[in-house]
Amino acid sequence: MEVVLHLPVVPNVELVAAKAVETMGGALGMKRNRVEAASVAVVEACLNAMEHGGGPMVVRLSCEVEDTRRRLLIEVEDHGGGFRPETSSRAGSTRVLGCASKRGWGLTLIRELMDEVQIRSQPGMTLVRMWKYVENGA
Amino acid sequence: MNEEHLKLSKDLLSHGVGVIAAAGYINNEGGQAIADAAMELMGQGCGTLLIDLEGTRIINSIGVSILLEIMEKLLEERGRLAFCNLTPTIAKTFEIMGLVQYASIYPDRQTARAELGIQT
Repeated sequence: MEVVLHLPVVPNVELVAAKAVETMGGALGMKRNRVEAASVAVVEACLNAMEHGGGPMVVRLSCEVEDTRRRLLIEVEDHGGGFRPETSSRAGSTRVLGCASKRGWGLTLIRELMDEVQIRSQPGMTLVRMWKYVENGA
Repeated sequence: MNEEHLKLSKDLLSHGVGVIAAAGYINNEGGQAIADAAMELMGQGCGTLLIDLEGTRIINSIGVSILLEIMEKLLEERGRLAFCNLTPTIAKTFEIMGLVQYASIYPDRQTARAELGIQT
């Protein structure tokens, strides 16, 4: 089972990806809370791709099996200038108030809401790969 | 898509308590709509603001950053901000982004009303 979306940069297009995650997660039997976490993560990945990617993005959804456990793989690819993932997360929430900019939470949320995340980025291509297991296991 | 447009209502109750009910996608536009409603209520004397997110299942960090700005303004005025009816994912997002350090979170509106001393 695979879904591939080629999404243009238009307002709220990230909801198309979220709807696809909702549909596919539901088809896999994923619990609602887990589907919603994956939906928010894909929304954040799409927003980053739109803001920094400079053009259309590709979202791919597929089901994998890892050590007998099924998981949903979500990939968001853009073709922008790239970035250094290791230096791009916010350190924490302690200095939220009083900061002029309250933005920049996307990667932190993705990492917290998904079970596994890999980011490959170079000039011309960024690929965010993130996994959510169908069942919440140890 | 139903989530795309935020349905919003606001009400100023007695003793300076305001309630905003928001259902839908909280993005930049949704967050700004809540902020506008909050500012209007604060202008009318609201010092305690309860935001009820029943019916909201998808948010993004831009929308939440606007909620942080509302919280900042309320705290500047020595006000209080509270939320109720959060999904687990939205509650976790608020926790990650630091809202829960400064805002109260209640499971439902009835509990929020009781805890905040809101008259029915």
